[in-house]
Amino acid sequence: MTSDDDSVSDDALLSSIALGDEQAGLVFVRRYQRRLFGLALGIVNDAGDAEDVAQEAFLRIFRHAAVFDPRRGAVSSWALTITRNLAIDALRLRRGVPTNPDDRVFLELTSTERQPESAAIASHDVARARSALAQLPLDQRRAVLLAALYGRTAVQIAESESIPLGTAKSRIRLGMAKLRTAIVNEEAL
Amino acid sequence: MSEHIDEAVTCDAVQEDLAAIALGIASGRRRAEVLRHVEHCPRCSAELEQLSIISDTLLQLAPEVEPPIGFELRLAARLRESAGPREVSHWRRASVWALAAVLIVVVGLGVGSLIGTGHRNPPTPAVSSTLTSAALIVHGSRVGEAIVSAGNPSWMYMSIDRATWSGAVTCQVVLADGHVETVGRFELTGGYGAWGAPLWAAARDVRSARLVTAGGVVLATARFATPA
Repeated sequence: MTSDDDSVSDDALLSSIALGDEQAGLVFVRRYQRRLFGLALGIVNDAGDAEDVAQEAFLRIFRHAAVFDPRRGAVSSWALTITRNLAIDALRLRRGVPTNPDDRVFLELTSTERQPESAAIASHDVARARSALAQLPLDQRRAVLLAALYGRTAVQIAESESIPLGTAKSRIRLGMAKLRTAIVNEEAL
Repeated sequence: MSEHIDEAVTCDAVQEDLAAIALGIASGRRRAEVLRHVEHCPRCSAELEQLSIISDTLLQLAPEVEPPIGFELRLAARLRESAGPREVSHWRRASVWALAAVLIVVVGLGVGSLIGTGHRNPPTPAVSSTLTSAALIVHGSRVGEAIVSAGNPSWMYMSIDRATWSGAVTCQVVLADGHVETVGRFELTGGYGAWGAPLWAAARDVRSARLVTAGGVVLATARFATPA
């Protein structure tokens, strides 16, 4: 991708896609395909299914590009949420059993040493979230990330982690509350 | 306090659920109950908003994985399929087909280089290098973005997201020879709008783009650093 392509914002790309610019669509696919596929793969745990999910996500993004409202959130959050929801639906449809990643994945995801693979996610917010996550006890970190990235409900987390439902709910709630406190406090400084 | 708004659901009672709703893992029924409360409770509404921002940010941590070879090619085929029977407007159908066509060309090049070199990341072909953008500036502040897409015809796009004015505006481009071309007119609502139209001029000749009022007053200007 050229520096010109990198300099075009996601919002502008979506506007161009909505107006029928095929090159903007290409830039968008190349910018997001690794992220959407990676997220889908983490949830469905099958490369073929993950590809179906990521492709369906792109189709929906292009189809609805004209109605995307940048005032309601970032394009990246919208695209990733579409992908996550489609992956959860796909898993449910095939009655697949979600497989939780091991602790190594969670440590890797929250490592403040980790360099983002694309400049698009090298934002201050992401670095701050990663840093705040790294401060959480591992059980809360696992619960929050299983819910946020893999769409696991409290019931599913309780089953897969072999813990009572109340404990699963507490870990999610406490983890999110601590992240909120850490991030809001940092903003207030 | 907000606890009096809905006696059946209190702030304390929804605390348990706000994180689950923000994360998108709450059940539909409970979600509806809690959101009815949140709608009338500024405190819980603010908390849910903050938790939702955190949830969105967490999603950005998803690991990146290179899709299988041929991903873009298969996506192009699905775009073609999806464009067929659907009741879409002519321009939208044309855009999907055009995207598919470009993807096929580019993927052909990419897959060719993949096979030839064994690299995981094929070099990006020149076809994707023809978008040129510049910020639309008013008194030193960015209010949007102007993009020129080179092609036959070339296109001009504008995306305005934080203007302080609304109503009808005209898009003009200034060419290398100083000639001014009026590209088209569009409406801004609440300082926001997005628009595009084909250019008569060649993209490489465009030096700047500007928004002007019906009376000819220049509202914002985007200067392209290099010939578009």
